[in-house]
Amino acid sequence: MKNKHPADSSRGPSLQQPEPSRRSRWFGPQQVDNEGYQPPRTGALLLQGLVAIFFFVFVSRFWYLQMHKGEEFSRQAQANRLREERIFAPRGRILDDSGKVLADNRTACGLALIREDCHDIPATLAQISQWTGIPLEQVWEKYQVDRFKVKSFEPLLMVTDMDFELVARIEAELIDWPGLEISVHSKRSYPEKDLFAHVLGYVAEANEKEMEKDPDLAMGDLVGKQGLEYKLEQRLRGRKGLYGVEVDAHGRMLGKTLREEPRSGEEICLSLDRDLQETAWNALSGEAGCVVVMEPDTGKLRALVTSPAYDNNLFAAGISKRDWDALRTSNRFPLQNRVIQSVYPPGSVWKLLMGVFFLENGISRYETVFCPGQVKLGNQIFRCWRRGGHGSMNLESALINSCDVYFYIMAERLGIDKLEAFAKASGFGSPTGIDLPHERSGLVPSREWKRRRFKAPWVRGETYNVSIGQGYTLVTPVQMAVYVSALLNGGYLLKPQLLNDAPREVRGRIPGRLETLRFIVESMRKTAGGGTARVVGRKDADMGGKTGTAQVVKLKMSGDRRLRTAEMEYAQRDHAWIATWGYKNGKAYVVIVMVEHGGGGSSVAGPVAKKVYEHLFGPDAGAPQVIAASDGEGDVSQPPVLTPPDLPGLLKPVPGGRQQNTRGRREARVSGATLAPRPTAPAPILPDLPARRGAPRGRVIDPSAPPSPLTGQP
Amino acid sequence: MDKRLLSHLNWSLLACTVLLFFLGVGNLFSASAIRVEDGLTFSSFYQKQLIWGLCGLGCMIVAMCFDYRQIRNLAWPFWLVCVGLLLLVPVIGVTTMGANRWISLGFMNLQPSEPTKLAVLVLTARILAQHNRSLGWKDFFKVLLVGLIPCALILEQPDLGTGTLVLLIMGGMILFHGLRSYVLKTCLLAVPCVAALMWFVVMHDYQRQRILTFLDPGSDPRGAGYHILQSLIAIGSGQMWGKGFTEGTAGKLRFLPERHSDFAVAVFGEEWGFVGCVALVTLFSLFLLSIFSTAMQAKDRFGSLLVVGVFFYFFSQIVINMGMVIGLMPVVGIPLPFISYGGSATVVNFTLLGIVLNVSMRRFMFKG
Repeated sequence: MKNKHPADSSRGPSLQQPEPSRRSRWFGPQQVDNEGYQPPRTGALLLQGLVAIFFFVFVSRFWYLQMHKGEEFSRQAQANRLREERIFAPRGRILDDSGKVLADNRTACGLALIREDCHDIPATLAQISQWTGIPLEQVWEKYQVDRFKVKSFEPLLMVTDMDFELVARIEAELIDWPGLEISVHSKRSYPEKDLFAHVLGYVAEANEKEMEKDPDLAMGDLVGKQGLEYKLEQRLRGRKGLYGVEVDAHGRMLGKTLREEPRSGEEICLSLDRDLQETAWNALSGEAGCVVVMEPDTGKLRALVTSPAYDNNLFAAGISKRDWDALRTSNRFPLQNRVIQSVYPPGSVWKLLMGVFFLENGISRYETVFCPGQVKLGNQIFRCWRRGGHGSMNLESALINSCDVYFYIMAERLGIDKLEAFAKASGFGSPTGIDLPHERSGLVPSREWKRRRFKAPWVRGETYNVSIGQGYTLVTPVQMAVYVSALLNGGYLLKPQLLNDAPREVRGRIPGRLETLRFIVESMRKTAGGGTARVVGRKDADMGGKTGTAQVVKLKMSGDRRLRTAEMEYAQRDHAWIATWGYKNGKAYVVIVMVEHGGGGSSVAGPVAKKVYEHLFGPDAGAPQVIAASDGEGDVSQPPVLTPPDLPGLLKPVPGGRQQNTRGRREARVSGATLAPRPTAPAPILPDLPARRGAPRGRVIDPSAPPSPLTGQP
Repeated sequence: MDKRLLSHLNWSLLACTVLLFFLGVGNLFSASAIRVEDGLTFSSFYQKQLIWGLCGLGCMIVAMCFDYRQIRNLAWPFWLVCVGLLLLVPVIGVTTMGANRWISLGFMNLQPSEPTKLAVLVLTARILAQHNRSLGWKDFFKVLLVGLIPCALILEQPDLGTGTLVLLIMGGMILFHGLRSYVLKTCLLAVPCVAALMWFVVMHDYQRQRILTFLDPGSDPRGAGYHILQSLIAIGSGQMWGKGFTEGTAGKLRFLPERHSDFAVAVFGEEWGFVGCVALVTLFSLFLLSIFSTAMQAKDRFGSLLVVGVFFYFFSQIVINMGMVIGLMPVVGIPLPFISYGGSATVVNFTLLGIVLNVSMRRFMFKG
């Protein structure tokens, strides 16, 4: 606009005035303000004011948001982007006492669908159906139900468990199916299947109720539902780890930081012996029944077999409705753990309790009762199992011969009230406290109970029935194992332990003197030597037993002949019991066998027990020769068998009654534990040891003791 | 160009502009980044913005080259063309997302409401410049008509943001020029009536929803209030010093919507904290005051009004956008000048600044 050329300057200042252009002439007069234009004052104030307001309002708002509420928003931002993700902690394995795996974790391969990556979902689902053989409708149904549970970029598990052959095949073709992936997860497996099904129980996915109760559980977590898996849930489960996961607004994972290592669950070692368990299982040969093998000194269980059983892998994999219905409706009740959940009349095995009861309530072991084969009470006849009768019976011969009449008479003399109190104090009628769920109490009937249950008074005949373990009396096999163990260990009612490291736990005590217990043990020894339990007797071990044949219904007679087992309906056949103990090389076991509707105790349950002892002590070396049944009061010429101090009941009773003992005792009521091999020799005295807890098993050897006739060792 | 003209240039305005522009590009770099599992991925928004900035610079220089008074001659034809295009929109327009705002030119979509803002600005300046006294009723309505006709057409599209902007530019200019006191008083009384009319007649449901959400953003944190809430969280979590450049999470993790356009300043607030935000507000204030000083120094009323129009153009956008981001204004899709990404907006912004600089350069033209 300005011409700075010196030649132009001559043209004067008029040039500084721009000439109106042609265009400006067209667009009306140019009304140019002069230099004196003054912007409006109010307008200027308005603009400045607006800027000032803008500055102060916005700065104060930023102050409010970032300084005043900054921390709160920071927290919200953190919550926005950081989620927590639990890391799976492997469940502890369960082993038997020698380390054989009973419950394991295995990796299972499933097939998962990531919806976001899948281009053609119908075709993919059809392919899944074709691979796995699952009907297409079922695949669709699963997809429709589960698709809302996971986000579109998260794997949706379509097939949970595939065998490796199928996995290999699918993996080869997977490249053609975007959005499908093989997902690997952990599953519980039970290699021994039926053999340990009831002991181990099973795991399954946690249900809503369990998740509500336990905040550590999340959807899809496995949780113990039955057996030890249920009882030891807290120990087996371990602790999950924690990932801090950074996610974006869609929940997509961007990064993970390990916050807490997962801690795998505890490995649990059972006291059960897998091989012994298998032997007992095979010995039952499919019969409905159970076998308990218990160490009387520690309370540890060595075998706990119940038959029939089920395959607990079915549950761990998610049982199908068909399988479940089959198990549930089976008339053989495979879901029932007969050792603890079934109650049976104990039959003659109950007499082991009655014997202690009589002796502790003032009945002399020498008092006799004449057994004519039956007793009449009013117009009711109570029979002895032997139709001809046993003749004159004292307590020992009544026990050995299992004479019912003796027990009728004596029990009636003492009455049901005393009997009830004694049985309850001896551990019957209440659970043993075993670490398995749903243990039943059994039943010791009483006047009170009958009034409540039947609204009827007690009648004398019912005392007769109770005295021989019939009538209303109901026990679980494990209660019987605890009781027989207590007979051997000085009366201590131990909690049956399933874990190898479990300490000895005393839950009660039989209210009886040690002398009394020894007397009963001695009678069992004789019963095994030549009485009804001779089937378990063996030459190379100290054995004892008592059989029982528990009637399910009233005696069935055919004319005046009792029906044979095979002639009766299955559900009406007698239950076969045998309660035994065995002692060899410092190891003692109590073996209880119960065969449901098996028939006679000695003929059906006995052989099962025998096979168990063969496993425990080796094959039988010959006929029993430990103690002859005719020994009566005990042969003074025979040196005693040395026993661990926890098994004073195994020692032979002092002949001729009580004898003052010389050592201190744990309880005044228990009479002396002295050995009296012969009256002239000073009694070798066992050291007085307190009840051992988890101490290594072993014999206490007294140097002054003569060699054992059984082992040839001192 | 004459060196003397350059010496009169409003250098502080230019400095503020350049600073704001590069601040904006830097912020875009961070805002366009998205966190994926193995780090950040960057979109090319900041590069495009740089290119647009260069285009804008060219337009700015062009806008500075001629005497701004020539614009006055273009005022009417420009306005008429814009109104004509606005009238064409309902006939041949392209409808996107429920709004009919665009005319397809084949190679690109033209949004007639954008140049309309400028047309109203220039024409209002021209008409007001003819009056050197405060406006009476007659003149007031004459000026009002210039703005209301295109405004009605824009609101019909519907485009509340641009319509409001047009009204604010025009209103600001009128207020700056001055109204007779009785006109002003009447207008102030009329404001509530107009607001009610807007609410019940002009506004669409979604627009009403936005205002309701603005009043109570917590009522629907996952739905309509989501934008505001996430924006507040982003800014608030910046606290005093901010999280640092590209260290913000709200944008990177996609919690923040429209993070490179309407909500870009939320990314800035999160990463630079209160200190950065105060600096930004200060910079914008200086920027506006620089424009204001030019308006005061202009040699004639038209130039002054032109600059005041530009002032209100920027002021309205800054207040509406930042106000929305910090929860002081309802959600309206108006970008923040120089900070938000937008090609045509950048070019327009620079062009308008060119006009301001033009006015500032030529403020001494008549002096000897």
